[in-house]
Amino acid sequence: MGKRSQLSWLVVLVLALLPASVYAGTPTEQLKDTTDKILAIVTDPALKDESKAQERKALIRKAVDERFDWEELSRRALGRHWAGRTEEEKKTFVDLFGKLLERTYLDKVEGYSGEKVSYVGETVDGEYSTVEARVLTAQKTEVPVLYRMKKKGSEWMVYDISIEGVSLVANYRSQFQSILARSSYDELVRTLRERTKEK
Amino acid sequence: MEKRKWTIFLVCLTVLFLKTEFSHGERAAQGLDRIILAQSAPDDEDFEDELSFVEEGVPDPLESINRAFFIFNDKLYFWVLKPVTRGYKAVVPEKARLGIGNFFTNLAFPVRFVNCLLQGKVGAASEEFGSFILNSVAGMGGLFDIAGDAGIRRYDEDLDQSLATFGFGPGFYINWPFLGPSTLRGSFGSLGDGYLNPVPYLDSTGTILAVESVKVVNHTSFRIGDYESLKRAALDPYVALKDAYYQNRLKKIKE
Repeated sequence: MGKRSQLSWLVVLVLALLPASVYAGTPTEQLKDTTDKILAIVTDPALKDESKAQERKALIRKAVDERFDWEELSRRALGRHWAGRTEEEKKTFVDLFGKLLERTYLDKVEGYSGEKVSYVGETVDGEYSTVEARVLTAQKTEVPVLYRMKKKGSEWMVYDISIEGVSLVANYRSQFQSILARSSYDELVRTLRERTKEK
Repeated sequence: MEKRKWTIFLVCLTVLFLKTEFSHGERAAQGLDRIILAQSAPDDEDFEDELSFVEEGVPDPLESINRAFFIFNDKLYFWVLKPVTRGYKAVVPEKARLGIGNFFTNLAFPVRFVNCLLQGKVGAASEEFGSFILNSVAGMGGLFDIAGDAGIRRYDEDLDQSLATFGFGPGFYINWPFLGPSTLRGSFGSLGDGYLNPVPYLDSTGTILAVESVKVVNHTSFRIGDYESLKRAALDPYVALKDAYYQNRLKKIKE
């Protein structure tokens, strides 16, 4: 065999040994894809009308579900109290907490008015990664946003967001701890139910 | 009056001391939390990651008073600050408000400069100095952030962060009426930084109040909706605010 064809064999061999996940995109690429998708929905003139609100929300919800791991987020927010819950309770909690977060997220994202988002850094450590983004506000200040992600198959899924250093998971965890310390798990669930009923 | 100030100061120190004493117990309890977490987490990797951002919260022995002040500040915001700010926003165009904001940010140069030095951040201090001179001279007394446009940035340092760098713990959480969330260390920090603020050195109390009010209202004019947003997202807004304040402080201290 000539040197050239030896090289091509080597290349084919190496490529064949690489895990399939390499082709799925980096954490930043996947995050950017989802964010771009959501922002496109929010700024779409065809969906601006009030009558289209439900459709718009459903589309955003679908895009968000592709990138956010609600169960992981809920588990971490409940912290040490997660382990003692039944499967049924866990499912209910993820559902309710997810609703609360979704509502908050929708409120925020619908206020988007063209702010520029730049992706400034990424770290990968095995199954975990972080992506740092900066949002340039109208007042020319940069808001740092940190996404924490975990690999699920070929997809990087977000399990925490920190805005200006304030972690969403940690913030809710401190609230949950406080409520659980002075009342009960049932009370917490009741409060969650109440809050997600409003709107 | 002097004697009273000293008494308050000493009482605070004593409380801080006592707090350090029985916060050992709290830290032990939190250590226990982590052990329980370890035993309940099936996945070792997840546990590692969990630990990496399980921060200790700030102690809150004054919780009932703090909660009362929280309600007070809440009413103050909705009944006074927000309506006044809305009126202000309607009259003062955004460009002007941005300029006024730049002016006050520039005026706070001494605080940032001194605290950069206190923390040994000489490079940051010199950038701050450059920014101040450029903006004051070429930026019409600080109205324009010429330096910022040229890529010279400012470093948001204060005495609270400097004290933290020296090794002082936060003490405990204090939610001041009017002023909002702080800690024992943070409050001393604000007191100290106050000496570097040029406004209180003005002649009449009336002018001082007016200037400080404009500063607050102008600042708020860009942030209407943030507090409401926090409340809507929270199950317990008092805790949400306390935690957000503390996490943000930790981040700033690290930088």
